[in-house]
Amino acid sequence: MSLYRLVYYSENRISSSVADLQAEVEEILTQSRRNNALVGVTGALMFSSGYFGQVLEGPQAAVEATFERIQQDPRHGDVALLEFAPTDTRSFDTWAMAYVGEDSALFAHLGPETGFDSDKITGEALFNRLRAMVATNAAVA
Amino acid sequence: MTNVKNSMASCCISELSFQSLCMLSPAEKLTTGRPSEGPDGSPPSVATTLHITHGVVTDVAGGPTDLFGGRAVPGKPLVDLLDEAEKFGFLPGGTAASINTALAARQSKQLLSLADGRSIMVATEFAAADDMTLHFVDVSFAVQMTLSQQRDVLTGLPNRVELLRRLNEHLASPASLPQTAVLYVDLDRFKMVNDTLGHPIGDALLKLVVERMQRLLAPKDVLARLGGDEFVILQAEGEQPHAAEVLASRIIEIVGRTYLLQGHSVQVGASVGIALAATDGKTPEELIKNADLALFKAKSAGRGTFRFFTDAMDREIQERRALEIDLRRAIIMQELSLVYQPQFEIDGNKLVGFESLVRWSTSERGSVSPAQFIPLAEETGIIDQLGEWVLRTACKEAARWPEPLTVSVNLSPVQFKSPKLVSIIVGALSSAGLPPSRLDLEITEGALIENTETVLLMLNQIKAMGIKVSIDDFGTGYSSLSYLQKFPFDKIKIDQSFIRSLETNADSAAIVRAVTALGKSLGMMTIAEGVETESQLELIARDGCAQVQGYLTGRPLAADAAAELISTRT
Ligand SMILES: Cc1cc2nc3c(=O)[nH]c(=O)nc-3n(C[C@H](O)[C@H](O)[C@H](O)COP(=O)(O)O)c2cc1C
Repeated sequence: MSLYRLVYYSENRISSSVADLQAEVEEILTQSRRNNALVGVTGALMFSSGYFGQVLEGPQAAVEATFERIQQDPRHGDVALLEFAPTDTRSFDTWAMAYVGEDSALFAHLGPETGFDSDKITGEALFNRLRAMVATNAAVA
Repeated sequence: MTNVKNSMASCCISELSFQSLCMLSPAEKLTTGRPSEGPDGSPPSVATTLHITHGVVTDVAGGPTDLFGGRAVPGKPLVDLLDEAEKFGFLPGGTAASINTALAARQSKQLLSLADGRSIMVATEFAAADDMTLHFVDVSFAVQMTLSQQRDVLTGLPNRVELLRRLNEHLASPASLPQTAVLYVDLDRFKMVNDTLGHPIGDALLKLVVERMQRLLAPKDVLARLGGDEFVILQAEGEQPHAAEVLASRIIEIVGRTYLLQGHSVQVGASVGIALAATDGKTPEELIKNADLALFKAKSAGRGTFRFFTDAMDREIQERRALEIDLRRAIIMQELSLVYQPQFEIDGNKLVGFESLVRWSTSERGSVSPAQFIPLAEETGIIDQLGEWVLRTACKEAARWPEPLTVSVNLSPVQFKSPKLVSIIVGALSSAGLPPSRLDLEITEGALIENTETVLLMLNQIKAMGIKVSIDDFGTGYSSLSYLQKFPFDKIKIDQSFIRSLETNADSAAIVRAVTALGKSLGMMTIAEGVETESQLELIARDGCAQVQGYLTGRPLAADAAAELISTRT
């Protein structure tokens, strides 16, 4: 089964209270950890109070099934698919999560906890990459 | 029967569940106790036959699959046998009691359902007072057939028949009326997915769409598939019309999100029409029909949106139907006519030809605008007949004009769907005796959007015969430029919206200049239509446009008046 990489960008629709955001993010973390490990999906989720950005890597069917669930999640909307294509290598060994944006102290624990390797790619870097892709209107397969 | 077989039978039967029994249609659906045939037409497999005298098993005939795992032996009381069978899991819990009750009531038929999907009919022959024979018959195939008449095979959803039954049942209780809505959902662009990615992906997409919609429904709602990409939802409970509106918006949003299917990313949309049980119809059929009407409105409002049914929609549809009938009659009764608007070369003010335009007036309606009846003709398929009439009439008229005056005829995108189009054009030319070079066919970009390859093939055939082909309304579509690359048009007709705003909008002037320059470099003639003032004429002339058509240089004329114009101008 060929390896695929998927990158999307979406609008955060979790109510703006920090407590809600924390609770929901914890929940997404738990769900993703459990489900993704089961089907061999790795990647990274970056979020701010306004946006989510996510990379999913894994067997095609697993990525498709995971994304289909994510698509129906009311916690976000306006999901913009930036990339969905076969890839030779994974750029993430595990499933990682990081917060980008103001108040980063609130979510500082997430990086170490999920193995988010800030040396490899920082949240900002990915977000910038996502943004750049949006700006240049990168083709979606 | 060997032990191995026994244990296999028992492990199937131990998975019996009442859930599946409850889901089955009532036994009355199986109109007769006629034993069903196997899928290959083989005789039914009778699981077990028990002969009971005075409540005790006296004779046993085990079929290929003995339901009782060898426990049915002569001398055993039936009550014990059933109890045991239940305890050991051969029969689903509670079955023993219900069989006993049925027998006591001398009920001759009962349907059991096993978790492995098999359905077992217990058919009892009551002989003497205390003498009976119980046939346990596998009727799975018949049950499946019955279910398949109620369910859509691809998605497993209720089909139209089943939907109507549920709606009927639901509407029977007056209390539910104010709470009930019928939502007609239709996918946008689904056909394109099917056409470009193939039916297997189209089918997989439909299943995902169904899953997404099902998640949005309340437990009592019913989602049915009426075929293709059309679905109907019976929304059973909610404060209407708010609840329906919320559901419709959710469906449009969620169904419209990207799908990933076998490596492809796929996008479809949904449009929704809503009818409320309280106001918009008395019968299920009427509610569905009115929701469908509202859907039609949602689709024409640009898709990806919802509309509630209104009485005005109903009136409109009646009027449309009346207009359709009149239009069909008009073609037969020759109530249609053509007028001809002159086209001039700007340089030298020389008459080069006419565009034929169709007119329709009736004694009751007065003159009906083509903007009204052409779309109707396109939607109803009348356009083929209408288009052929226009071609024949225009060619016949043009044949009376001196060489080399041309006649332009508009072709609707819909006409390209008919494989006969080319032969119809040839027929019109030959029966009129008009040289192909004097016919100029005007098409819009719309003709090239769908089935581009087929349309280009037809256009090339047309062009190869020497007929001219022009692109009409140029600049109004999304990708006008790319079409110029696909086909060597003879002429570009700059849309009148640019001409009209020439003096007030600098962009329009820039566009006109660019198009004429483009035409020159591609070797295509440019003509401006809708020219109404001297200053517009001056501007297009300055910008390099070669030909002109419009009220300023000549209104559309009846055939005789056109002939008269020709005689004064040539
Ligand atoms: C932005 C965002 C990213 C998510 N990422 C994942 C993910 O990578 N894996 C996953 O299983 N669920 C993810 N979810 C959660 C899913 O939408 C869904 O709620 C979850 O998979 C349900 O899992 P459960 O049925 O095991 O509870 C994400 C949700 C959001 C809002």
